[in-house]
Amino acid sequence: MSAEHHPAHPTPSQYWKIAVLLAVLTAVEVAMFYINEATDLGSLNALILIALAVLKFVIVVGYYMHLRYETSILSRFFTAGFILALSLYAVVLGAMGVIAIRG
Amino acid sequence: MTDLVHGEAVDHGHPEHESTGVDNRKLGMWVFLSSEFLFFGALISNYLIYSNRGGFEGVYPAEIYDIPFTSVSSFVLLMSSLTMVLAHNALSRGDQNGTKTWLFATASLGAVFLGGQVFEFTEFIVEFDMALTTNPAASAFYVLTGFHGIHVAIGVIMLLSLWGLARRKEGLSEKAGLNLELVGLYWHFVDIIWIVIFTVVYLLSTVPS
Repeated sequence: MSAEHHPAHPTPSQYWKIAVLLAVLTAVEVAMFYINEATDLGSLNALILIALAVLKFVIVVGYYMHLRYETSILSRFFTAGFILALSLYAVVLGAMGVIAIRG
Repeated sequence: MTDLVHGEAVDHGHPEHESTGVDNRKLGMWVFLSSEFLFFGALISNYLIYSNRGGFEGVYPAEIYDIPFTSVSSFVLLMSSLTMVLAHNALSRGDQNGTKTWLFATASLGAVFLGGQVFEFTEFIVEFDMALTTNPAASAFYVLTGFHGIHVAIGVIMLLSLWGLARRKEGLSEKAGLNLELVGLYWHFVDIIWIVIFTVVYLLSTVPS
């Protein structure tokens, strides 16, 4: 058995607070879409939207999937799969000219 | 633990721990979900490649997205993650009624999301004449979002199965608690994949010049 110490899972009221945060982040994403349509923020828009998506992703995985409360082997498996997929398709998209790779 | 009695496996209902300290079924689910990143990564990459390539005949998906509608769908799926985790929490507290309510709410929100997707596809095909074979960008869009929809549909079936079990007089057993947790992990994963699809496919897509 693992000897790692894991904090207690969130309470129902904390789950609701997390949901409100996720809803607000989604609203900001949609607002960014319309702000970009009006002002054309360019790559800044993409950076902000990707940052918001990453934040929502991490919150759901950490708090709703309880990964931050689990034993580290699960985090390693999950992170390894994610990084492997991200690296593989970054290379594919770079080679296909969809994303720019600057040396 | 599983013992062999007269050559037959007997399950005593204990968690199947190995040297990892994690139940094998739970570890298996996390490894499966991890492998799904490669599956969805391929479909998202396929979409990005073809949606950025100009010169195809017919309408491009990015020309006809209904962002307000998809935003509501995304919100519905996001909130289903809340109801899912509340179902898990209710069962861990022995609250069978709460478990039933939140399981049904999660399945219902999943069904609403699927209904929205069916509406979106129908509108794209009927109103904008963008079918699966209109052009490679349209194909990539339908295959990606369609496969995600299939994942949601499988999740709804699993949730309704658990809800059916929870409706029995004895409710969900402690052993079924792990099943609920595994279905929950799957459901949250479907949600995080949609977080990526919503941003990359809907919000960041542009029509190639």
